[in-house]
Amino acid sequence: MTDTQADAVQVTGLRKNFHVKGVTIEALSGIDLTVAGSEIFGLLGPNGAGKTTTLRILTTLLSADAGEARVAGADVRRDPAIVRRRIGYVGQLGGADVSATGRENLLLAGRLYGLSAAGAHKRCEELLGVFGLGELAGRSVRTYSGGQRRRLEVALGIMHRPVVLFLDEPTTGLDPQNRANLWDQLRQLRETGTTVFLTTHYLDEADQLSDRVAIVDHGRVIALGTPEELKRRYSGDTISITPGLAAAGPPDLGALARELAGAGCVEAAVVENGAIRLTVSDATRAMAAVFDVLATRGVPTRAASVARPSLDDVFLRETGRSLRDAGAAAGTGTGTGTGQPAKEEVAA
Amino acid sequence: MTFALHTGLFFRRKLLETLRQPVWLVTGLTAPLLYLALFAPLLRSLAGGPAFPPGHVLDVFVPGILVLIAFGAGMGAGWPVIWELDTGVIERLRVTPGSRFALLLGTAARDVVMFAVPGVVVIAIAALVGFHAHWGGLAVLLVLLALLTAACSATSCALGLTLKQIGSLAAVVTGVQLPLTLLSGILLPLSLGPSWLRVLGHLNPMYYAVQASRSLAAGSVVTGTVGIGFLVTGAAAALALWWGTRSYQRAMVLSLTVLMSSRNIYHRAATVGRSRLVEPYVSRSRRRCDMTSTSQPVIAFLASGAWAGPWP
Repeated sequence: MTDTQADAVQVTGLRKNFHVKGVTIEALSGIDLTVAGSEIFGLLGPNGAGKTTTLRILTTLLSADAGEARVAGADVRRDPAIVRRRIGYVGQLGGADVSATGRENLLLAGRLYGLSAAGAHKRCEELLGVFGLGELAGRSVRTYSGGQRRRLEVALGIMHRPVVLFLDEPTTGLDPQNRANLWDQLRQLRETGTTVFLTTHYLDEADQLSDRVAIVDHGRVIALGTPEELKRRYSGDTISITPGLAAAGPPDLGALARELAGAGCVEAAVVENGAIRLTVSDATRAMAAVFDVLATRGVPTRAASVARPSLDDVFLRETGRSLRDAGAAAGTGTGTGTGQPAKEEVAA
Repeated sequence: MTFALHTGLFFRRKLLETLRQPVWLVTGLTAPLLYLALFAPLLRSLAGGPAFPPGHVLDVFVPGILVLIAFGAGMGAGWPVIWELDTGVIERLRVTPGSRFALLLGTAARDVVMFAVPGVVVIAIAALVGFHAHWGGLAVLLVLLALLTAACSATSCALGLTLKQIGSLAAVVTGVQLPLTLLSGILLPLSLGPSWLRVLGHLNPMYYAVQASRSLAAGSVVTGTVGIGFLVTGAAAALALWWGTRSYQRAMVLSLTVLMSSRNIYHRAATVGRSRLVEPYVSRSRRRCDMTSTSQPVIAFLASGAWAGPWP
């Protein structure tokens, strides 16, 4: 098998257009990214950004119009058969055969990947144990709950101990408990040397689960790095202050904001919904300065909060849109007038 | 070696899927038996008449029923394939090293079994009520019709993977099967009809299978008719298997939105299990699967009333 220290995924200049009813839709307009071995890599973006299309090209389901992609040491265009042997894939639709039992599903996958009958049985029982599916193994998958089915599908993806495991929106539709379990299982996979490549439109999934993140929008990578790096690079901490009524009457928020903008560590101040939102370079030090100003002016504080930047802030800085809005607009399928949201649906 | 293993694995998977729905076996048998019981007696008065081939009425009719069973068993393959496409099974299998041709062949092999079991039962019952069984010819006949079943099965899979929707597949299959069956002389020999009908029949690949079947059932194995039947059916099977394999290589879900109408629903219902959201769709297509069994061509036939037309 290839050295896991080598890059698990290398993508340069990946392009893909779809032609639907005489209209050409640019799904990928030059994706570049590299995923190192044994890391969890998250592809974050709104619906229609090109996540699924990228994943489908990397898993040999779709061919790119231009660009290079190497996965687990083999070229997806020239050696798709080698790539297929080395990767695992958990699609958005799941892919477990619901008319068969969980065990039958696993055994078939094992045999297809070249395990012997005995080897497949051994690995099957091992995974049934790891994923807590032992008691369900003999039951038709149709009777499984959403979480149980997802666990089986992940087990199907790693039956042959792949070098890279691809997951397309693995936690969509899962309740918080099952989601947390799946995260733990993916982390354990990373510990055993498997590279995990997942797409998500959940901010926290990219932020907390992924070692590195690529944010994609309109078929392009707009930011790439560890979640911490990205957040530091693009936005500072924010402090939100909601002043209460002073003895002298309601405070002049505008004047207050201007004054606070001059305090130490504060970079910008805006008035928002009766509160003052401050962008600061270091929240801990800025807090003291801000409360000094408020005390001097005799303004009581009704509420104060500190927020660390999120990946949504990164997305906002790059695109001028919030990731949530972008996702919701695409999800309705009516489009936002940019002609972009339909992309992933076409790709799918 | 790997290919044979994969074909065997896929065959087993498909066979288990069928055996879990025993209703298929029942419907596969009832239609041909109803034909024997309720339609064959009508032919008795025709036998011995002008342009009707010599011999017992069942000798002419049983090979036709067998072709009908083969056609039905093969054409049913496309429905579950759409279902597999929608649930991501095919996508997952496409990412494994599993051979696409093996995937198709496994399904075709299952359908051959689905043809052979009711086929043999029909032959046995017909033999009890007057059908002159020429066992050597019948053995070759089963091989020919196994080929026809494989051709129909691969065509149905390819259609399912191309059309991607149950409704479209149903429209195409029912639209095609009526002219194909009518112009093959399954129910009545085309030699009874006017010359233009016979000319049209010669454009229908299934016509040659029916002709060869009649010859084989009569015990004449080494004839030109049988040779042409094998040639045409074999070519059709090769073409269909090529098309089916190609379709598997490119199979892709039409659109996730068709399945999940909107991801927004998904977001709002994040705590509801995935299966519950997809389930209504699932059970709908499943019901259609059950409806569309081997009896379907027969039902369409009877419902159309077309077969009743030329009767005096």
